[in-house]
Amino acid sequence: MFAKKLTKQYDGKTVVDGVSFEIPKQAVISMIGPNGAGKSTVLNILSRLIARDGGEVDFEGKDITQWKSRDLAKRLAILTQTNNIQMKLTVRELVTFGRFPYSGNHTTKEDEEIISRAIAYMELEEFEDRFIDELSGGQRQRVYIAMVIAQDTEYILLDEPTNNLDIYHATNMMKIVRRLCDELGKTVILVLHEINYAAFYSDYICAFKDGKIEKFGTVKEVMTKETLARIYNVDFEIMEIEGKPLSIYY
Amino acid sequence: MKGNISNLRKLTILGILVMLAAVLYMTIGVKFANPKLFHYSMKIRTPKLAAMLITAFAIGSASIVFQSIINNTIVTPCLLGMNSLYTLIHTAVVFAFGTTSFIMTKSNLAFGIDLVLMGITATIIYSYLFKKTGHNVLYVLLVGTVLSSFFSSIQSTLTRVMDPNEYDTLLATLVASFNNINTEIIVFSVLVLAALAFLFRKDLALLDVITLGKNQAINLGVDYDSCIRRLLLCVTLYIAVATAMVGPISFLGLIIANLSRQLLKTYRHSELILGSTLFGMLVLVAGQLVVERVFVYSVPVSVFITLWGGIYFLYLILRNSRR
Repeated sequence: MFAKKLTKQYDGKTVVDGVSFEIPKQAVISMIGPNGAGKSTVLNILSRLIARDGGEVDFEGKDITQWKSRDLAKRLAILTQTNNIQMKLTVRELVTFGRFPYSGNHTTKEDEEIISRAIAYMELEEFEDRFIDELSGGQRQRVYIAMVIAQDTEYILLDEPTNNLDIYHATNMMKIVRRLCDELGKTVILVLHEINYAAFYSDYICAFKDGKIEKFGTVKEVMTKETLARIYNVDFEIMEIEGKPLSIYY
Repeated sequence: MKGNISNLRKLTILGILVMLAAVLYMTIGVKFANPKLFHYSMKIRTPKLAAMLITAFAIGSASIVFQSIINNTIVTPCLLGMNSLYTLIHTAVVFAFGTTSFIMTKSNLAFGIDLVLMGITATIIYSYLFKKTGHNVLYVLLVGTVLSSFFSSIQSTLTRVMDPNEYDTLLATLVASFNNINTEIIVFSVLVLAALAFLFRKDLALLDVITLGKNQAINLGVDYDSCIRRLLLCVTLYIAVATAMVGPISFLGLIIANLSRQLLKTYRHSELILGSTLFGMLVLVAGQLVVERVFVYSVPVSVFITLWGGIYFLYLILRNSRR
């Protein structure tokens, strides 16, 4: 999957300005940067939720807009921040929707097995028959991840998955992201605000500033004093814990 | 799975109640001994019953679908002025062609023209409205209410400049009600409703997913924008059929759609639409029965529906705001 010279404007203001990159397979790629740097917009363009103004997104040899939506749903999944459901839905019913691209409204026996495995993988068995709106934020986030797992795609795109979660649940979420890549072999692309989560749990970091990519590389390449200071306009110190660079800012 | 069985039971009970109401409606006060009188009663009552059942189906399903499209349960197509739009279009067509023209004398042809115009204008107006307001329900409701009186005003202006004789003829088709049902178009209406349901069956099957929200729907492979446009077209035409047959009944959709949602507590649209339809049939048939036998035609059933509908609407708003 690669993007070439992506551009996007809102009301004449350029938010994404000629962004090009290639996504390595079976890795965790974090997009970081200050507010309004365009990282969420780029993620949404990659996932076809937002139409781009210019450039191209190539997914497996074909432009993303040329894909049939249903076929793409079997290869690439996206989870955004806002998921308000007005309906009374149980955990299992929501996870079942992950099989929709394959079987529509009627699930097969095989689908049911996949759904059960996804629920078990997220350790949600005891909540299976509870309604979504009765769950806490962290649990609900896990249900959505279970749905994405049931969707069984090679690529998973997450828009600020740790948003609104406390430290415990946010850390758990990042561990899940790591497992999705290491155990299930997924390519995970996510937008993060917390730099140290990006540094500790990803393989690559893509740093945005003013609608452009400031730096795209391995964690070690991006997590340097100079690069981070340039992106955020704040002074940084870099420390090393468990062989991974972590930043301190104040 | 447990929820499924009890929903099936609820729907069965509802269905039995509807049948009971229908049987009572057809038999109470009928003189079976006299074949001539019996025939006469049947001739009067059968089309009425048919019209009520059809209307209930049209309004019931249109309201559920519409609510799911804009992801809110206190809005219905009628509250946003869809039936005023239809009345306006019908008046405009009569105004343009004249009541004595070839088109107007063939009521099914005139109805067909109404439907085409309604489909086009309503889809343009409402999809623009949704886009512009970003699906913000309060704005949609506000603009919808304004549109509703706007359409009515244009319509009444048209009738004022019309030839009085023309207006007289128009009035008969305009203020259709359950005591004055537009019987000529019943068969055509059934065909239209069935054809639409068949044509758009693929989009209707996507409704469950659409209620997860736009982003989730796209993620799961729904071609969102075009699907919404087709569903909206379907809704407008259903409303047009119902309005043409029995005139505007503002709150019916709101009542039956929400009763269905409250009773069934599910996201499955096949069940919701069936529930809403059955509730509609029950409300209309039982209501008409009471109006005819208890109030002896002094009050039309739509008055009751509007009265109770208004109260129910307030209740829904208050309940929602408390959460």
